[in-house]
Amino acid sequence: MNYDAIVIGAGANGLATAHYLARAGKRVLVVEQHQTADPSADIGWVPDAVIRDLGLTGAGLRIETPDPWITAPLPAGGTLELSRDLGRSVEALRRISPADAAKWPEFCERMRTLASVLERLYLVPPPDIESTDVRELARIAGLGLYVRRRGKQIVIDLARILPMSIAELLDDWFESAVLKGLLGALGIWHLKQGPRSGGTAFNFLHHHAGSPAGVFRPPRSNVTQALVGMKGVEVRRGARASVLAKNGRATGVVLEKSGDAILAPLVVSSADPRSTLQPVAIELDPDFSRAVSNIRARGIVARGSLALGSTPYATLCIAPSLDYLERAYDDAKYGRDSASPYVEVQRTDGRVEVHVQYVPPGTHGDLAQRVAGILKIQPNQVQLQPAAESLYHGELTLDQILFMRPVPGWSRYRTPIEGLYLCGSGTHPGGGIPGAAGRNAAREIL
Amino acid sequence: MSLRTTPFHPRTGPLSEGQAWRRWAGYVVASSYELSHEREYHAIRNSAALFDVSPLYKYLVTGKDAARLLNHVVTRNVATAKVGQVLYTPWCDNEGKQIDDGTISVLGEQTFRMTSADPTLRWLHLNSSGLDVQVQDVSESTAAVSLQGPSARAILQIAAERDLSALKYFRLTSATIRGIPVTISRTGYTGDLGFEVWVDAGQAVPLWDALIETGTAYGITPAGMLALDVARIEAGLLLIEVDYFSSRHALIEAQKSSPLELGLGWTVATDKERYNGQAALGQERRRGPAWQFTGLTVDWDSLEQLYADVGLPPRLPSQAWRTSVPIYDPGGRKQLGYATSGGWSPLLKRYMALAHLGSEHAPGTEVRMEVTVEHRRKQAKAHVTPLPFFNPERKRA
Amino acid sequence: MKQYDAIVIGGGHNGLVTAAYLARAGKSVLVLERRPRVGGAAVTEEIFPGFKFTMFSYVVSLLRPEIIRDLDLPRHGLHILPLESTVTPMENGDYFAAWGDHDETRRELYRHSPRDAEAYDEYGRLMHFMAQAVKPILGMVPPDPTSFAPSDLAGLLKLGKHFRGLGAERLHALVKLMTMSSADFLDEWFETDVLKATKSASGIIGTFLGPRSPGTAYVLLHHYMGELDGVFRAWGFAKGGTGAVSESIASAARSFGAEIRCDAGVAKVLVRNGRATGVVLENGDELLAKTVVSSLDPRRTFLQLLESDQLPSDFVSDIKRFKFRGSSGKVNIALDALPSFTCMPGIGRQHRGAFSISPSLEYVERAYDDAKYGEFSRRPYMDIVFPSMIDPGMAPPGKHVMSIFVQYAPYHLNGGWSDAKREAFGDAVVNTVESFAPGFKSHILHRQVITPLDIERITGLSEGNIFAGELALHQLFFLRPAPGWAKFATPVRGYYQAGSGTHPGGGIMGASGRLAAMRILKDGV
Repeated sequence: MNYDAIVIGAGANGLATAHYLARAGKRVLVVEQHQTADPSADIGWVPDAVIRDLGLTGAGLRIETPDPWITAPLPAGGTLELSRDLGRSVEALRRISPADAAKWPEFCERMRTLASVLERLYLVPPPDIESTDVRELARIAGLGLYVRRRGKQIVIDLARILPMSIAELLDDWFESAVLKGLLGALGIWHLKQGPRSGGTAFNFLHHHAGSPAGVFRPPRSNVTQALVGMKGVEVRRGARASVLAKNGRATGVVLEKSGDAILAPLVVSSADPRSTLQPVAIELDPDFSRAVSNIRARGIVARGSLALGSTPYATLCIAPSLDYLERAYDDAKYGRDSASPYVEVQRTDGRVEVHVQYVPPGTHGDLAQRVAGILKIQPNQVQLQPAAESLYHGELTLDQILFMRPVPGWSRYRTPIEGLYLCGSGTHPGGGIPGAAGRNAAREIL
Repeated sequence: MSLRTTPFHPRTGPLSEGQAWRRWAGYVVASSYELSHEREYHAIRNSAALFDVSPLYKYLVTGKDAARLLNHVVTRNVATAKVGQVLYTPWCDNEGKQIDDGTISVLGEQTFRMTSADPTLRWLHLNSSGLDVQVQDVSESTAAVSLQGPSARAILQIAAERDLSALKYFRLTSATIRGIPVTISRTGYTGDLGFEVWVDAGQAVPLWDALIETGTAYGITPAGMLALDVARIEAGLLLIEVDYFSSRHALIEAQKSSPLELGLGWTVATDKERYNGQAALGQERRRGPAWQFTGLTVDWDSLEQLYADVGLPPRLPSQAWRTSVPIYDPGGRKQLGYATSGGWSPLLKRYMALAHLGSEHAPGTEVRMEVTVEHRRKQAKAHVTPLPFFNPERKRA
Repeated sequence: MKQYDAIVIGGGHNGLVTAAYLARAGKSVLVLERRPRVGGAAVTEEIFPGFKFTMFSYVVSLLRPEIIRDLDLPRHGLHILPLESTVTPMENGDYFAAWGDHDETRRELYRHSPRDAEAYDEYGRLMHFMAQAVKPILGMVPPDPTSFAPSDLAGLLKLGKHFRGLGAERLHALVKLMTMSSADFLDEWFETDVLKATKSASGIIGTFLGPRSPGTAYVLLHHYMGELDGVFRAWGFAKGGTGAVSESIASAARSFGAEIRCDAGVAKVLVRNGRATGVVLENGDELLAKTVVSSLDPRRTFLQLLESDQLPSDFVSDIKRFKFRGSSGKVNIALDALPSFTCMPGIGRQHRGAFSISPSLEYVERAYDDAKYGEFSRRPYMDIVFPSMIDPGMAPPGKHVMSIFVQYAPYHLNGGWSDAKREAFGDAVVNTVESFAPGFKSHILHRQVITPLDIERITGLSEGNIFAGELALHQLFFLRPAPGWAKFATPVRGYYQAGSGTHPGGGIMGASGRLAAMRILKDGV
């Protein structure tokens, strides 16, 4: 069977790319290393454009919109619950801090505006600031004008807030430790930095993209499931593939276990850039190889599930203050997992999942016990997966986004090897936005 | 001492009559041992000069992918080289600009020794991603001498107690000199009959002693860098940091050179798989390089006249110079290029220079070279001369 | 009453530079300094008889060559001496040394890691280019990206062109330098931990950040910006300490006709009809001027010298939000003998350079952790020099002064700074040095411990922040000290701002003083 394109990885980005290519008339084979599809729901905003283009609603896409979207225990007892309805959140906040309640609507509006700028940036390839192409320069100028037209304050906010730490941002607005803790957690989500580190405000905004004002957790959906169910591409499972290339051109993939080679002139990988490019390193010049090996993708989160029948909360957040998060990060700095980790429990699709941070790879000896202790359940009810590499294939730090992602100067999904493209969360716009990179990559290819 | 001394220093140190030392790769080496370098130079062309070349950077590259790594880095085809062969080769960056030049000795199927002027360990490592290869820096643990001149073979044959007439140009062999295991390569930096002897640093001093004792009757002469400089210009051999700058050290584009611009097109293979700079070099070859590296011979009468005009006999530099000297067209106004090395050849009785000119200037073309006479800038006639200036039969015989 | 063309509030080096340039242009200038001597945080004082302490700042790092030339500072006593080496003692008794000679440094690096020895050259080359790329920004007035004014658009275009002209490799390196932590940035080049720690340490000076905090990589450039001046050598130790730098600028200013008055603290700026008309001294005297320039930090410039109703309210919020958290301390010591460090026993050329107490990244990061939670570092990072070894005039013959710059000592200490806390901090510093140089304590004749509270009290720098406002990305360039007010003017007509709280930020550069003077002259005084 002759294929026009081979896609490595059957996650949301890989399948999205595959279906975009199939719709353009290509014969696509998707090769996936795992035998069974990961049943856990995807976390992240699925852009409308992707839903529309691929008809995902018809394919059974369901996006969860829990309300309240977060619950956090209060030190004196009881909980703080924030709602999708701004008014209800204001009421809930008034009980712990009237000052914070008063600021809540304006904060939400400001963050929404800033996130909307990011949303616009994320559905197109990143600006190529080195380009001499008139159209690209016009596009960049247009982007600049769009931002400026939203108001002078937005330009200043972008310049000020993007490099800031989430701690500093939140300290400017609020006083309640619990509120700052639960918001701050979004700033350090999947990042090996503490809330006092610069760039965490950006990470916060990145994860707010795609959510309505006042909701500061990425939505969950079954987008991968929906994509899997769609016809149009062939999927082969249980086969880990490596890229084949010769004389600077991609020629196909080789299946590692069987050694079989499948040829195709176009190979798109949704796997992380490093493992994608390693097998063909000889085809790359050393400076590019070095840049690839310098991609920071440190695993820092242990994910897993809790063997509970159900939980009363959609999302339970254990991050009582910014200092709590900062101390949790301190442990990771020195190679240990957090003595008091940040724990978040999510009920989704009939399962109860847990996110634990910070957990550097190779640690977490008695982590399950600690998590159980925090949640006041039994250790044997906690099932955690080791944190290997970052889920995002490249941490979302300011030096690894936009035209710097995955490798500076190579942000248009191409690689120095002709016919080999990247489309995973290691590319723009990064992790937590399933399908977006896939779509951008596909459009770049076609 | 802040600078390092070479393994031969216990012998070379006391030989220095004028304490004329200089730096080479963080070591001290002799500029000349005697008060003047003249006799040392003549030994190169008349008997045999002995140079301490230990400061060269040397790397042992071994493993299944050793040849693959080197082939990926350098411009010459390493895969087709035979065991016992030595390759002279430059290597380039991804844009085809020269980083450095050196030799690769094929010691075994999976064992190579690479020399370079600049440290190259990191570059080799950066290029070995995904390859099964080990790179070991043996710069300090390997000492080396260079024996150059018409009597070189004779001396070595006695010292090594074997016939070396079968050792061809740019080939190597292992041997023992007074029980000391060495590698002898028929290589050198003088464009003459010559050999380099590679030895474990711990055995450097006994090796030196053996060579001196054997060679004294044949006129063996320890020589320093000043003498070597004259010989290498006669041989048309380029020197990094003088005749060209490593692209990795260049501050601006104009400071970079490709091998094609340096007369090393013959080292740029066309028959091997992807290596650094291949695409760029291919394109440049098709276009034709903009620059050439060529020789210049200064016209004696013209030079003599410049001095006569101020009432002086001609002043010839006794040492080779390494500064940049402008080269003009016969009109004297338009600068065509620049010379980077030059000096008087006592053997050829010629004032020679190595220069970078536009490729369009064929051998024989008349140019003008700047000469400062009594504080004033003058120009002497010169003409483009193909390199090398000196190429004796015995070099390859 | 005499009306000056300009009154400069604050006799720190930037204020003096402003005064000198204005006087050079023929204006009548009066500098008002609260303390008995000029210099601000660049002063040399004989705290202990016979021993001159370069009290706060201790090296000249980025003093602008054009200022040295324009004001002919050498003629006024400026003499910068080389400070060539840095030795970092390691906890295992070994050391890492960076010498002035390239070959020597290469050999030292090679000893620790052959790969790092080679990487160092490449790294240096890249940093050289980056310093070249960034340098013009130090000397420019930041254009306002929110404005549509032609001059701003032209400035932005020029800036854009400059960056695009860098080429891809350098542009990317610049983005990395501006956003990464110094540890992460250095991890991409080197493997030797003590090397990374020492270099990172220069990135956290004066900040409330650790080597793993994003945004600290930028300061790695500073050293190379100083090197760009190469043989010009604007980087080193000033003969007579940094106080001599201030004195030379003051002398130059006076030679152009400027008047400098000490013991003359300013209480308020006189404002009439939205225009600055002069100042009121702490003793009640009024002095008139067509232009008033404050070289104090932005908090004092705006919230102390003016009434709040004289400024727009959102500007006041921005200034209130401008962060100052001081984190540095200083210990100055009179010694009867130099300490011998375990890693390099004896007294030698290493004492003519600096000692960096930064044995590992973890060491420096832990020092930062202490500060994060409101304590001074129990084992602090220190930058140590012996001024008397470079300039023998700083101490009596055979005796020495030791200048120890310390991170971290948070201004907002848990429970606040008291005399007891100050001594405890001094002890932590001295004991740490003792652990690397046993016997050191026995040579101490006198010690002066300076906390951020002391810095604030003595020099006026708010919260003891040595840069008159943190050098964080969101407080730099067109955001310094507030969005829209980064061009040395203020919302009050005739009132200008200079000093490290404005662009380009801290260090003994003089750059902002000069840019402010240029602005004032351009506006016409």
